[in-house]
Amino acid sequence: MLKRKSHKIDSSIGNAYSFLSLAIIVCVCLFIILTTIYFGRQAISLHFLSTEPNPSALDAASGGILTPMIGTILLTLIGIMIAVPFALATAIYLRFYSKKGIFLSLVKSAVNILSGIPTVVVALFALVIFTQPMFAFLSAKIEGVEGSNMAYGKSFLVAGVTMAIMILPFVIKSMEEVLKTVPESYIHGSLALGATKWQTISKVVLPSARSGIATGIILGMGRIVGDTAIVWLTLGGTLRMTGNQPWYLPGNFWSTLVNTGSTLTTYIYYTSPAGEGNSLEVAFGAAIVLIAIIILLNLAATFIAGIGELKHE
Amino acid sequence: MNKSMIEIQDVNVWYGEKQALYNNNLSIQENSIYAFIGPSGCGKTTLLRSINRLNDLIKSFRITGNIIIKGQPIYDLQKKADIEEMRRHIGMIFQQPNPLPTSIIKNMLLPINEHFQGDKVELENLVIEKLQQAAIYQEISSSLQKAALSLSGGQQQRLCIARALMLEPSILLFDEPCSALDPISTYKIEELLMELKQKHTIVIVTHNMEQARRISDYTAFFYEGKIIEQGTTLDMFMNPKSEMLEHYISGKF
Repeated sequence: MLKRKSHKIDSSIGNAYSFLSLAIIVCVCLFIILTTIYFGRQAISLHFLSTEPNPSALDAASGGILTPMIGTILLTLIGIMIAVPFALATAIYLRFYSKKGIFLSLVKSAVNILSGIPTVVVALFALVIFTQPMFAFLSAKIEGVEGSNMAYGKSFLVAGVTMAIMILPFVIKSMEEVLKTVPESYIHGSLALGATKWQTISKVVLPSARSGIATGIILGMGRIVGDTAIVWLTLGGTLRMTGNQPWYLPGNFWSTLVNTGSTLTTYIYYTSPAGEGNSLEVAFGAAIVLIAIIILLNLAATFIAGIGELKHE
Repeated sequence: MNKSMIEIQDVNVWYGEKQALYNNNLSIQENSIYAFIGPSGCGKTTLLRSINRLNDLIKSFRITGNIIIKGQPIYDLQKKADIEEMRRHIGMIFQQPNPLPTSIIKNMLLPINEHFQGDKVELENLVIEKLQQAAIYQEISSSLQKAALSLSGGQQQRLCIARALMLEPSILLFDEPCSALDPISTYKIEELLMELKQKHTIVIVTHNMEQARRISDYTAFFYEGKIIEQGTTLDMFMNPKSEMLEHYISGKF
């Protein structure tokens, strides 16, 4: 007589294990967010969001996070504007034009390796490259130092280009995946109508993949917003904008771009006990804003992906 | 006797090492419906997709022999632009309706906008004319701005036919156009095909014996890459010469 096996124990262990893991992850996530809000809530005020940081030992005079916020936005825009056209073109090439062979596997492993390089290494590399005199137009020429003709190598433009390099493999991969999800039937249908390959890509494939592409861009933005090492090394350790003042005048725009500044991440480093400020509350206040930006970007990505699904319904 | 529109001459096809078609010869007359029947994997879709060179997309695809359309051997065409121009004269409708995820009107204008210029009214009239030809205009006339994917499967398929008609092709290729549709939509498409053959030459791949019998003028029976029998549909179904076809049409496969 065969005895029926009971699955009660192993299935309840499985249940408990996966539920506990989930619970722990949710708790850690909530704990981080709640701690941040708890410590930083006092700092958040309109004044905090709308004034520039000031080097002062007095809390009242130390100002807010206006320029770090602007810096984060500026850097994200520069990085995305440089990275996305390259990434999209590369993804299109990989998906539609490349032939299987050594070259393709070389490109693919290059993309994979690039995505694994720590951002601080990318930053170090950028620093070596962009301090070369020929790249002085991106930052500034060092003057008044005997025997040096190097470029300064730190500016919004340099950091933006570096950010673009950092997110490139990530965005390429996500766009390649998106292009793969465009149904073959669309492509065949278009070609059967006598369309050229490029017409098919530009008029059929890309519009169908629009929401996926937007999601990829937003996730790439998230990586730029959260990065610290590249900002620290290639944007510099100054809290304020160091171009011609006031930095927000359109006439000083270029000067702002080729000079240094800060982002929320470096501001947090500065004001944390590890940096120079040692004002925990202010650091957590900036962290709240940073987390809010990242959550908003993720919501936007989910929302845009949702629009795409509705349309395909 | 009508003029010959498509001549298939000694066509052999390989996918890599595997041969899919063996020495096929076929002559397809103008303004008729030619049905390809046979069990799955017998090569009928392969031959259909060779007629507009859509198989060129498959890297391992190799063909010998030629297919001659209106006197032009299409596998002699070398330039990409010539192949694309050739495809514009051959509409293709697929098994799964494939309207793009945009509005009905944009779907219709897609092939036109790329190749021609015209003013808005002219284009809109053309769209309406083709939608009427595809017997779908009445159902959707109120909402040409609606998403094409919100239509039913049968409507989507007729929209795809209308879209193919926009370039006024002389040949229409149908790859099992009704296999994803319900009987009523199937009936509508069959009626439409009978209508369309007045102006177009139609080749249809079908799994449905009854469909082939109902609508086609000629039929070719494929088995393992070879055309076993071909002729007028009436003749084929009334007096099958080979035992294989006899079994197939009586459902013993």
